[in-house]
Amino acid sequence: MSSPFLRLLSKWPTTKALVVACLLGLSALAIMVAGVVLSTPLAVVASMSVAQGLGVLACLLFGLTVASEALVARQAKKDAGR
Amino acid sequence: MNPIGALAVIMAAVSALLLLHYLVLRPPLTAGVRLQLLLGLAVFPFVAAVATTGYGMQRTTERSFCGSCHVMDTHLKDAEDPHSPSLAARHTRNHFVGEHSCYTCHANYGMLGYPLTKLTGMSHVYNYYLGGYNKMSLEHFHAEVRIAKPFPNDNCRLCHSGTLGSFANVKDHLAVLPDIEADRVSCAAAGCHGVAHPFTKRPDELGQATAQQGEGHFALKPPSFLQPGEGGAK
Repeated sequence: MSSPFLRLLSKWPTTKALVVACLLGLSALAIMVAGVVLSTPLAVVASMSVAQGLGVLACLLFGLTVASEALVARQAKKDAGR
Repeated sequence: MNPIGALAVIMAAVSALLLLHYLVLRPPLTAGVRLQLLLGLAVFPFVAAVATTGYGMQRTTERSFCGSCHVMDTHLKDAEDPHSPSLAARHTRNHFVGEHSCYTCHANYGMLGYPLTKLTGMSHVYNYYLGGYNKMSLEHFHAEVRIAKPFPNDNCRLCHSGTLGSFANVKDHLAVLPDIEADRVSCAAAGCHGVAHPFTKRPDELGQATAQQGEGHFALKPPSFLQPGEGGAK
């Protein structure tokens, strides 16, 4: 695991990252719903910008968590094979 | 709320339930839980985001949206006044333009018209919330704030193409046709069809010619809701 990215993934705090991802996702969803329900300029603009940014961040955290899990599993398999 | 808005809310609700389920129970990360999180963090929110964007884009073309800031109160009231002779009100009464009269007239023309209009709209939001417009009185706003760029005749000619006899047979049109095409003379100028929102203009901006126009054109008279004793402006 020479690459800094792979080193980061191997130390990735899976549970914490998923909790943060869920909270970010919930915030994004709340802002989206506010944009539709309130329909005021600020709410609509936020639902099309801030909410989508938070949603992408949540999705990225989830993706990194899945990648880190896969990496750890592969490493464990390699170690077991030696 | 239209069907796109409803779809956004339903997708957001389903996603929220999946995420709350994970947050409350914190189950071990099995394949099923990964699928649940994939649906709750990626698939359903993606659909919700697309639906929200569609809803937002549609909502930003509605007249009630444009009129939701207090500085647009008089514009909105005038446009919706069935007796107002202003250019904006006469266009709003046209069912072809309907509920989207602000957007229809002010949207930029051409291939990039839609995104450019939305970008300009963002500057309005910035000016309102961070540029001090939200603290301005209506009188101050009408006295100080003007349209950022002169209104292009192309926007009028999107509907009034100028190829029919009702346009081409009017001598006044023919006399200034090159100037109309080059935007040196505005269709909505005082002396032509009159300014669209005359109550926002000082008398010197309206010009003598507009004041002399008769029925069917804007006369130099404020709309009924701006007259004393009939509600008046804020």
